[in-house]
Amino acid sequence: MAGLAATFGSGAMTNSIPEFGTDTNCFLIIGSNTSEGHPLIATRIIKAKERGAKVIVMDPRCNQVASWADLYLPFKPGTDVALFNGMINVIIQEGLADQAFIQERTEGFEELKKLVAEYPPEKVQEITDVPADLLRQAARMYAAAKPAAILYAMGITQHTTGVDNVKSTANLAMLCGNLGIPGGGVNPLRGQNNVQGACDMGGLPNVYPGYQVVTNADVQKKFQEAWGSTGPATVGLTVMDMVNGLEEGKVRALYVMGENPMLSDPDLNHARHCLEKAEFLVVQDIFLTETARLAHVVLPGVSFAEKDGTFTNTERRVQRVRQAIEPIGESRQDWQIVCQVAKQMGGKGFDYASPKEILEEVSRLTPSYGGISFERLEQLGSLQWPCPAPDHPGTAVLHKNKFSRGLGLFTAIPYKPPAELPDAEYPLTLTTGRLMFHFHTGTMTRRSKKLHSEVPEAYIEIHPDDAQRIGLNGGRRVRVVSRRGEIVLGARITKRIKPGIVFIPFHFAEAAANALTNSAMDPVAKIPEYKVCSVRVEPAPQ
Amino acid sequence: MEYRNVLTTCPYCGTGCNFHLQVLDGKLVGVLPAKGHVIADGGMCIKGWNAHAFVHDKERLQKPLIRKNGELVEASWEEALGLVAERLGKVKADNGADSIGILTSAKCTNEENYILQKFARAVIGTNNVDHCARL
Amino acid sequence: MSDRLTLLRETIERVLPEVEGVVALKQGPGGIVAPHLDLPSRPAELEALSLWPKYPVPDTLKIIQKAHPGAKLGVVCRGCEERGIVEMAKHAQIDLANVQLIGLECVTDEATFCRCYKPFTAHATTTVGDKIEGVPDPLADAFLAKSQEERLAFWKEQFLHCIKCYGCRNICPQCFCNVCALEDAIWVETGRLPMPLPPMYHLVRAMHMTAKCVACRECEETCPAGIPLAIQFRLMARDVQQMFGYETGAVIDQKPPQLLVLEEGDYAKTGLPH
Repeated sequence: MAGLAATFGSGAMTNSIPEFGTDTNCFLIIGSNTSEGHPLIATRIIKAKERGAKVIVMDPRCNQVASWADLYLPFKPGTDVALFNGMINVIIQEGLADQAFIQERTEGFEELKKLVAEYPPEKVQEITDVPADLLRQAARMYAAAKPAAILYAMGITQHTTGVDNVKSTANLAMLCGNLGIPGGGVNPLRGQNNVQGACDMGGLPNVYPGYQVVTNADVQKKFQEAWGSTGPATVGLTVMDMVNGLEEGKVRALYVMGENPMLSDPDLNHARHCLEKAEFLVVQDIFLTETARLAHVVLPGVSFAEKDGTFTNTERRVQRVRQAIEPIGESRQDWQIVCQVAKQMGGKGFDYASPKEILEEVSRLTPSYGGISFERLEQLGSLQWPCPAPDHPGTAVLHKNKFSRGLGLFTAIPYKPPAELPDAEYPLTLTTGRLMFHFHTGTMTRRSKKLHSEVPEAYIEIHPDDAQRIGLNGGRRVRVVSRRGEIVLGARITKRIKPGIVFIPFHFAEAAANALTNSAMDPVAKIPEYKVCSVRVEPAPQ
Repeated sequence: MEYRNVLTTCPYCGTGCNFHLQVLDGKLVGVLPAKGHVIADGGMCIKGWNAHAFVHDKERLQKPLIRKNGELVEASWEEALGLVAERLGKVKADNGADSIGILTSAKCTNEENYILQKFARAVIGTNNVDHCARL
Repeated sequence: MSDRLTLLRETIERVLPEVEGVVALKQGPGGIVAPHLDLPSRPAELEALSLWPKYPVPDTLKIIQKAHPGAKLGVVCRGCEERGIVEMAKHAQIDLANVQLIGLECVTDEATFCRCYKPFTAHATTTVGDKIEGVPDPLADAFLAKSQEERLAFWKEQFLHCIKCYGCRNICPQCFCNVCALEDAIWVETGRLPMPLPPMYHLVRAMHMTAKCVACRECEETCPAGIPLAIQFRLMARDVQQMFGYETGAVIDQKPPQLLVLEEGDYAKTGLPH
């Protein structure tokens, strides 16, 4: 998000899902296992392909979309920047760039052009393992089919170079004039159903709702007046800094609502150690999660089936969630729990009758949500922000005639290798990710009989060549060791993954991939490098 | 005897499919697609089709828990909320507002997220608010 | 003359006092339609009565009947849904004795959308709308024009798109087995996408739908990958008709061929769901 914000001035998906079905003529999918991570976006791409759209997949694993794509480029994890620089090199060399768009709507092109001249396809092949000709084909296919959409997910953001990777996608999209038009754009696919909403609502240390920055004096004054009191004009701590702060004693108490950092954080042994140091840990959740087990107080909230409210999806679409049944047992509405704590601590302005009233306050204080209300959602079904006024229809395509920051900014980005590279002791590169059958830390999906029976336990995907070298036969258990920890799990031998790379889904507490991952972070976005670390795989006692 | 369908948004990925929760006599009995929905258009993935399955799980938390002598034991809402308010108040008084961190959630609603960050800023007085968008 | 919606509303209002509830469609938020149980105590809810898009109401009826055995219920059903109810009754999934069928005849647009060979009811004593004739299925016809090799290639490509959502099975009112072959790892390997053998799932399912499918096309409508599943069922129905002289939903007291192999008592002994 930080990457797109710097380039365009706004960090959300630029286009909309329905356009993929109707307008997009070429899809460039990188770092997204779309049919497992976002299945109903993948199926829209199938329908687009049937009307003639092209599909290019770049991923170290040959996922389902890759199996029916027009072009599949397997590449070494962590070499995304080189890949993009190579494509941009080809497009400029072959005169396929959109000169008019570059002139009128962007800045910084000359610097980019100079830098990518150092990335001819043959050199990129050495870095990424992608054959030079395949890279040329991909570049031509993307440049020839306008509008073309770039789709990406955590596969490119969860790196020490995550922000660079995202800026690279923006470089390519602007180079071919694929912004501000239906069916084009740079489209980060959000992994959880309300990541976008949690950000929009100011669940971030640097911004109030609607990305109004905490360090701005006018913003500070606005919320001071609206709420009667507010926080300081300084940026707060990120998740990782909070957890680490517990160890140093800088942070003493943590209030956690509906999150499970004990399974989602990198380097789990360290996370546990930090959380155990908390003087006071409150967890509000629907199950006794790994994090809740460490808490001093656990407050039972309700599931999506028991609550009213709104979620904002990956394309900025605000939609209703509706209460279907009464809360289970003595569990209470999450908003009511927080309001009760707030009032007991002397907070004013926490007397809401319903979530509808809360959204009314949100829309008063958040310009992009200004025209969004329960009444309109009931009638229209959904609204995409920016939606500044009650008569505004919402916005499907961002940056139509102008970027939020004015001109779109090209960034010349040299390739930097990942923080941890394979060596003699840890010769394989581990990448982690999701499965279609489970969700995040598995708290909900692993309780579904059907989903559990599909994938009851963790496994590692490994190429037959690597398996043979290590001495594995199908179905055997292996020990996977990194510099931070080790886990034991079953092995799945498959040619769908590149030799030298192994994959572990991160949903499983008993063989948690994040016991192995590296907490080295992107310096700007503070996203840990889940997608690349070095490991050793060895046969385990059966 | 009561049977109805409640249109809602899927709790899993960020695609934003809508579907119906089938409610029979106050309990979830299944899901049904939402034909004509702008994103889902009558379809779902395997997670959506099973989205109701965890809701009535027997391990759902039904009462507040408080750690006593190292063990989490059931408590009344009054006691639990009182304890949270008192302990957070004490940490704030002893170590300052910025010694408290608040994690909002990518799985909770906009309204719940709004209220929690408002609580962090207006009541605790800190910008230590984040969630696992990065993770 | 009143339109179909008004006529249907009036019909339900007439039926409601004689039953405990009527299964019909209701329009909800954002214009999205879903099945609903209209109750005599809440006549105002009929304001939101809807005709289209259709939903698998035989399954709704089953869900309610299983929780309330013996309850007298009305159900608004189109031709395909009536066929579904009739077949489910033969497999002891629905108690036909306690159901009042309110037939809703389809109009041409609806029949064309469904490529429906029989867009009308055959058993309902109360009906709304005028009966129209069936329409051809251009997709099935185009498929039949292909060579054997082309047909195989067609399905192989279509099945490659499958994301294994189980939607075709989940939505099908005729899929009611307690133990499903599609969850048996012998036939369909668990936990893999893409599936190692995509046709297996679909061919196993097709086998199990023989002489059961009523051509409601709900599977095809809910398939996010847009696989034209109804083609295979349409052609299988044709074969079943030729081989066994059996047509689903046509005759209430005609047993389907798969139930004829065993005598009535023997069937119960197999332990198969019935």
